Amino acid sequence: MMMIDPVILTLFLPLFGAIAAFVLPRAAAWVGLLAVLATGGAVAALVRDVLAAGEVVTQLGGWAPPLGIALRADGLSVAMLAMTAGVGLLVSIGALDSLRDLRERQYFWPLWLLLLTGMNGVYLGTDIFNLYVMIEVIALAAVGLTVLSGTKQAVRAGLEYMYASILGALLFLMGVGFVYLQTGRLDFAGLIAAEPSGAMSAALALMVVGLLLKTALFPLHFWLPAAHANATAPASALLSGLVVKAALYIFLRLTTYMPLPDEILVTLIGMLGAGAVLWGGVQALRAERLKLLVAWSTVVQIGLIFIAFARAGQVGLSESWKAAALLILAHGVAKSAMFLAAGRIKDEIGHDRIADLDKSDIRPTLAQFTFALAAISIIGLPPSLGFIGKWTLMEGAMAAGYWHWVAVTMIGTLMSVAYFSRVFAGFLRFDRMRGELAEHKGWALADAAPLTLAIAAISLGLMAAPILSFIELGYPFGAQ
Amino acid sequence: MTDAAILFDLLLAGSVIALAIASLTVRDMFAAIVLFVIFGLLSALAWVRLSAPDVALAEAAIGTGVTGALLLKTLHHLRYVTGKLGEGPARGLTPTAPVPAGVIWANAAFCGMITLGLALAFLGAPRSGPGFDALVAEAMPASGVDHPVTAVLLNFRAYDTLMEVVVLLAAVIAVWQIERGLSDAPAPALGEVWQGFARLTLPAIVVVGTYLLWKGSEAPGGAFQGGAVLAAVGLLLLLSRIYVPQPAHRGLARWAFVLGAGAFAGVALLVSGGGRVAFEYPAEHAYALILLIEGLVTISIAVTLAALFHGREPVAAPVPEGRNDT
Amino acid sequence: MTPDLIYGLTGIAVFAIGLVGALCAQDRLRRVLALKLCSVGAGFVLVVAAWRSPPADPDPVPHALVITGIVVMVSATAVALALIRRLQTLEAEDDDD
Repeated sequence: MMMIDPVILTLFLPLFGAIAAFVLPRAAAWVGLLAVLATGGAVAALVRDVLAAGEVVTQLGGWAPPLGIALRADGLSVAMLAMTAGVGLLVSIGALDSLRDLRERQYFWPLWLLLLTGMNGVYLGTDIFNLYVMIEVIALAAVGLTVLSGTKQAVRAGLEYMYASILGALLFLMGVGFVYLQTGRLDFAGLIAAEPSGAMSAALALMVVGLLLKTALFPLHFWLPAAHANATAPASALLSGLVVKAALYIFLRLTTYMPLPDEILVTLIGMLGAGAVLWGGVQALRAERLKLLVAWSTVVQIGLIFIAFARAGQVGLSESWKAAALLILAHGVAKSAMFLAAGRIKDEIGHDRIADLDKSDIRPTLAQFTFALAAISIIGLPPSLGFIGKWTLMEGAMAAGYWHWVAVTMIGTLMSVAYFSRVFAGFLRFDRMRGELAEHKGWALADAAPLTLAIAAISLGLMAAPILSFIELGYPFGAQ
Repeated sequence: MTDAAILFDLLLAGSVIALAIASLTVRDMFAAIVLFVIFGLLSALAWVRLSAPDVALAEAAIGTGVTGALLLKTLHHLRYVTGKLGEGPARGLTPTAPVPAGVIWANAAFCGMITLGLALAFLGAPRSGPGFDALVAEAMPASGVDHPVTAVLLNFRAYDTLMEVVVLLAAVIAVWQIERGLSDAPAPALGEVWQGFARLTLPAIVVVGTYLLWKGSEAPGGAFQGGAVLAAVGLLLLLSRIYVPQPAHRGLARWAFVLGAGAFAGVALLVSGGGRVAFEYPAEHAYALILLIEGLVTISIAVTLAALFHGREPVAAPVPEGRNDT
Repeated sequence: MTPDLIYGLTGIAVFAIGLVGALCAQDRLRRVLALKLCSVGAGFVLVVAAWRSPPADPDPVPHALVITGIVVMVSATAVALALIRRLQTLEAEDDDD
């Protein structure tokens, strides 16, 4: 029995899973779960390899770049793969239970596995054109998942998402064209070797704007709240927890290999992040529905990640990416938990109007508890991973003397306490209820998945040191 | 380069830009689509001028042909559901809020600035190179095929091509998912004359498509162009109602959609081992393997494009829950 | 003046026209059309970048990329159009109620 490279398996297992789940619609759920599990196994093997070797490179077809395409796994990419696999597995388990409609089940699995293929491809990719194809795989699968429920609001939001996605991808493609025009190659090594020039600046601008549109950084976030709020719960969890991270990851990589040419641009990115934190916070305070509030909180968190990126200016980038990476991982785990919990609350009490949460005679206590745990990490209270991420952000900003980023982060934190308090008040108040509380329907498998994720979001904070040293393996951002 | 050729280039470039503007500004949506199709064909012509016949074929067949058919089908559907099927110009089919002229001009000015920046960057960039020319020339003998574009698509960058087939698969799954249970507009069927025409021309188109596919290993053509031509067969079959999709055919259709991606990925995996990595075809079998992959991918592309045109998953009405699914 | 210069600038112009359309167009179909123009513009730039002054042959790699881009774009277009059809049907059904 020959050993197949775990890098290849990480890509091909979800692909074969998607194919099998599509041609065997009645067995889709079990085939899909098996494929997600197997992919998790391949990622675990990759973790082992990266721990041993620092980086793993596979030249597909035996052709060395720049002619061929190489896949590369280092600490950061494997951390993203592991987060995706872990969150994906738990969301899958939740989906087993929460997707009741036969047709929803039948289409959820192939689309989700194609999404997984695309995301894994992004985290392993080292070729900018290949990344373009991968973000399109992600886009089509993600739009399919957005409109899974088939309601008018979901389809309308899905169409806006589709327009934004296509435009973002085409801006990126035009950037790829300019990179080829200037350097004659498409691999990351070619970007590093390129001298600064007009074409490279144009390429960087096009690709960065395309990616910011895809990752929904303020003010390019317009498509996100409706799309994430109107999807079915497992799809929302995948979209908010995982999908926006793929474009963010490409942004982190690109700006390392093609440094932003000016300090002002780094500050501008941080300012957009600050705009997201403030605007998203205000919108979350005003949101009438639970899922919409959670979606706006994603806009805030994306902004926060970009503040982490810009926290210490250009000279600090070699350290700042770690703060951004921690926040990406923390948000991925906590937000998927929160969306699944919000979905459970909506399922049990039949609506998700924040104002009426305390009027319900059914109290889905476990889902409410899960929601609160996830909020601890998203607000950034110790000892959660979100806390470590925010702390790293502020520490670096203070060390660099950039107190304005600290101030924005503090304001954002206070606002998040305020908008989550609206929800907690609804969970905890009983005085607006006239009759007896109805019997709680009991636990379901769909409660276990978000609870596990929320506990992970908090307890991973205790493992922050090993996570930090792991993401540095293979020197994702140079050896300094 | 002679002056006449440059004059031709200038005229062609001017027409392409004018058609692009016209297709966005003309009021009647039907006219817009027709202008877009002409725009696409002229762009393909320009790419022939730039010595890119493969790209021109793909743009004419898929970028313009299939896209145009998709747009026309959607327009027909919109007219049907808004009850404007028999009316003249197709206007205002989707709900629109008037955009302030200021916004439009601000956007146009913004895009103008982008254009200027991109044009300056383009003028400052090196032309006629650098590129992959030398690397491709060096690697061609080991690629298993004689046509460089096919070698890039199926060998050097086969991973990209596999993922492109996966994009197509994702699209058809998404479309089936989106349009499930959708009440359908009566398909824009063609008349009886067309049916006769279709029966006459179908065999010829099949021959052309297969030829394009086979030819791809040594001359312009290949899986995507061949697939698009074969998809045209599917479109004619659907339009002339010679073939009406049945719920019972869904299982087969699913297999046809995944055939290309599955076989491509399967071969990529099977050749690995014994010191080889995925996609590394053994030299003595490279030609046969590439031809096999291209053939299967062509079938998938043809069926998938035709299915994207048809849109809905064929479902028996009313939907029998959990039955006839495979 | 050479063909690559002429068509390169044409491609950038077409991309920009598509961009204006994608940002301003109200009609849902028209926005899809505008995005398709952007993709043709990007295709122009890649094909031009591959062009070499005759008698040299063009670089085949960008050609392969543009073919891939065309197939990706038709897939995205098909999904966008399916969404439009679905949304329009849902809206029309609501009007009937």
